[in-house]
Amino acid sequence: MIYHTLLFALAVVFAAWAVMSRSLLISAMMLALVSVCVSLIFFNFGAPVAAVFELSVCAGLITVLFIGAVSLIRTDEEAHPENRVRFYALPLAGAIFAIAAWFYLPGFFNELSSWARIGRGGGDIGLELWDMRRPDLLGQLAMLAAGVFVVKSVFPRRAKGK
Amino acid sequence: MDKGLLSYILIPLLSAIIIPFAARNRPRLADLLANATLVAGLANLAWLALRPSVISGGFADIPGDGLSLLLVATVYLVALCVTFFSAWFVKEGMPNRQAYYSLILVSVAAMCGVITTSDFFTLYVFVEVLAVTSFALITTDESAGGIEGALKYFFLTFPASALIIAGIAVLMITLGSLSYENLHIFMSSDIPSGPITFGVALMLLGFVIKSGVVPFHTWTPDAYQGAYAPVSAYLAGIVTKISGVYAIIRIATLMRFFDGRAQALSGILMFLGMLSIAVGALAALRQKDLKRMLAFSSISQLGYIVLAAGLGTPLAIMGAIFHLFNHATFKTVLFLNSASIEKSSGTTDMDKLGGLEHSMPWTSWTSIVALLSTAGVPPLSGFWSKLLIILALWESGLKVYAILALLFSIVTLAYFMMMQKKVFFGKKTPASENSPEVSAPLLAPAVLMSALIVALGLLFPYFFSYVRMVAERIIL
Repeated sequence: MIYHTLLFALAVVFAAWAVMSRSLLISAMMLALVSVCVSLIFFNFGAPVAAVFELSVCAGLITVLFIGAVSLIRTDEEAHPENRVRFYALPLAGAIFAIAAWFYLPGFFNELSSWARIGRGGGDIGLELWDMRRPDLLGQLAMLAAGVFVVKSVFPRRAKGK
Repeated sequence: MDKGLLSYILIPLLSAIIIPFAARNRPRLADLLANATLVAGLANLAWLALRPSVISGGFADIPGDGLSLLLVATVYLVALCVTFFSAWFVKEGMPNRQAYYSLILVSVAAMCGVITTSDFFTLYVFVEVLAVTSFALITTDESAGGIEGALKYFFLTFPASALIIAGIAVLMITLGSLSYENLHIFMSSDIPSGPITFGVALMLLGFVIKSGVVPFHTWTPDAYQGAYAPVSAYLAGIVTKISGVYAIIRIATLMRFFDGRAQALSGILMFLGMLSIAVGALAALRQKDLKRMLAFSSISQLGYIVLAAGLGTPLAIMGAIFHLFNHATFKTVLFLNSASIEKSSGTTDMDKLGGLEHSMPWTSWTSIVALLSTAGVPPLSGFWSKLLIILALWESGLKVYAILALLFSIVTLAYFMMMQKKVFFGKKTPASENSPEVSAPLLAPAVLMSALIVALGLLFPYFFSYVRMVAERIIL
């Protein structure tokens, strides 16, 4: 139970960080970490297929797309920073959310655990990923390489353009 | 996944990662490494498929279903033509030279992943890798046209990805598996296939958009016209065909279109194919820009492949596979020639060009070979693939489609003749006055592909036995 709550709390922290960060690149990475936490929660509640797909699509593919898109954005846009006044209400929203979670999450996790017992129990997530979706790992590797080369392809032109 | 062909994914991926480190101080080393990787791959593929013992045995020793091997070879061949051409085309001081070659090699690995996988989710992952690399490659020279093309590509193909993933989810819920084999077994049974057909229809819609089939073709002309010149050849020749059309052919065989299990899907695909043939050919007639005309021609030719895939009979699948291969050869020649013309005369506006046949004879002759093959003139390779498709339509009683396909083949010849007359024949225009023939290395890929077009046409019986073996293995 502590493990689930910790993962859930981490997911919330990363999500808040993604919203609050001034850098779009950090926001994209935080969103990927949210997906990793959600994926671990899925896996722990006996839904390995959902966990693996969450890890592949949301933490892998979508992050690379975000990073690729961020690398195309002109740096001069930073000269006009966004209005951040509305974010000052975030701690208050966070506190309300934490109190609600204190009441509701234990019951929610208990129910999920009973459903997970009906489903099959999972082994190690690495092993599961390796056994079930080995070719996808190759695809993920290719996606990571593509993301790096997109950034490498775009930034030198930007530097030259300046 | 076909493990026999795994090295064709791993080696270009490894080369792509090595290139930025090895060529950091010597940019020309990036050209060499990329070309060497692809030549080595092609040599290995030739050894696998073209040994005398394999040919005399009717290609029975070919690993896997044979389609994978043929398409991997096509990917390597087109990529080699493009990287070889780029080595002399890309400017010396281009700041992202290493990343350019790395992106091409990652996309080669991704296409091989698409081809060799036997699972829909893995297919999706590799198709997305291909989309990301294509998006970056289109903007290689950061021209306004390239960025516009890339954005259109982005806005149309990523919703297509959403449709594919939704289809995969429906398939997972209804079939309980994402493997090709399970879908094939299910479709061979008599169990009603309603929900599964719905999931597959969503995926097909996504792949149709990614292929650029009419009415989802709006991104194609802008992307091809605006993209960096060698990248246009790469996209039109192979990338869009593997990221969309290949999956359509694969799904057509898995869904057993030929025995009427998914008649509505089959009918819609055939209609969209015919619409693409017609709209692409008629729009190509009206174009003034050479690259834009070739883009519409590409839409029209992929219509033939989709039409044949929609029909799904063994003969139609043979025609679709053969035309996919042929399209890669003749469209690569035509787009590389358009890049040569752009480099030599500084424009691809056909109204500003003329009389290039004397100053650019090699470019002119290779264009003639490629355009005659595209139009389906015997004995070139394009004739045989179109003949197979039209025969398959006629045999299945779809005589209207067969006649229309034949008629639009004549329209294809008409717009290409107009192109040849405007660009190469007639009087020289000011833009053509100082347009010398490009250097031999830039001509080499077009000459190689033209020779292949002639050779495949003349040696058609050998190639037919290979394609027949492929059709038998993937349908039965």
